[in-house]
Amino acid sequence: MFDYLHNLGVENSVGVPDSTMKYFIEQGLKKNKILIATREDESIGIAVGMSLAKSHSLVFMQNAGLANSISTITSLVQLYKIPLIFLVGWRGYLKNDAPEHKKIGEIQSKILKLVGLKSKIVKEDNWKSCCKWAFDQISNGSSCCLVIRRLFDE
Amino acid sequence: MNRMEAIRLIAKKIGNQPIVSANGYVSRDLFETYDKESNFYMIGSMGLASSIALGVAIKNPKKRVYVFDGDGNILMNLGSLATIGMLRQKNLIHIIFDNESHESTGGQPTHTTKLDIKNIGKSTNYRVFETMSKNGLQTILNKIQNTSGPIMIIIKISKSSNTSKRVGYNPTKIRDRFMNYFD
Repeated sequence: MFDYLHNLGVENSVGVPDSTMKYFIEQGLKKNKILIATREDESIGIAVGMSLAKSHSLVFMQNAGLANSISTITSLVQLYKIPLIFLVGWRGYLKNDAPEHKKIGEIQSKILKLVGLKSKIVKEDNWKSCCKWAFDQISNGSSCCLVIRRLFDE
Repeated sequence: MNRMEAIRLIAKKIGNQPIVSANGYVSRDLFETYDKESNFYMIGSMGLASSIALGVAIKNPKKRVYVFDGDGNILMNLGSLATIGMLRQKNLIHIIFDNESHESTGGQPTHTTKLDIKNIGKSTNYRVFETMSKNGLQTILNKIQNTSGPIMIIIKISKSSNTSKRVGYNPTKIRDRFMNYFD
């Protein structure tokens, strides 16, 4: 998925790691095309700067980080209409995920709707079309979100 | 020296090079004293000016990118100093106007009344300069012409008595002007 998005034209990925997308991040690190920041809102700030420099950018984070970032999304990304792809790990999707993920896992879809971020859930049979959709969104100036469900226990 | 005087002096010196300015009075004063298309006035998202500037700087390694920050702003995003320092971003110049207060919300004290950002800057790989006078600032601005970054300039400023007007552009206009500069 990392290579596919990169080949479409997503030149930068900035974020805070989540185990849900560890292969995505590993591939990005291997290619030296990923930047890990200290917080999710910081990641968004850096990606906005890259987009202002006319380079398509993605931010990755766990859904806890999405909650941390709401003000940054409304008062930076949406205020200035900067197109970014958000790649968000859906912790708390499984009932038996760790307790700290339960609440945010339940309200994540509502948060995305309230914030006004269009989203798609990435699955094994649609990931390519999701990537294309997301790239079309940012090419047309809109931000969007790709959600990856956490389907494994660890 | 107050913020307006310091901003006028620096903005004139750096001319047409890009600046990302923090929300609150920093952006307002820059807008009033030296408005130009390569100024990105960050009017929301407090704390993130240096992160936005870092993104711009990474993609434009041949241009110097300036951050006009406040003490309240930088304290809100100290992680940004860690990321900039980890990358040793050569073309980033981080100017902090330190009035030891959250002036635009009523002058409440910030932590810089009791601690020194200079030391945080040093331990995050910045070359750090500090001054409270116009002459000192002139000397630093001359000196950094040939210094490799990341550079931090801390300017101790007095609280201002005048209030600059709000930035008069729509955010999308600020964005478009800034992006056009990079054409």
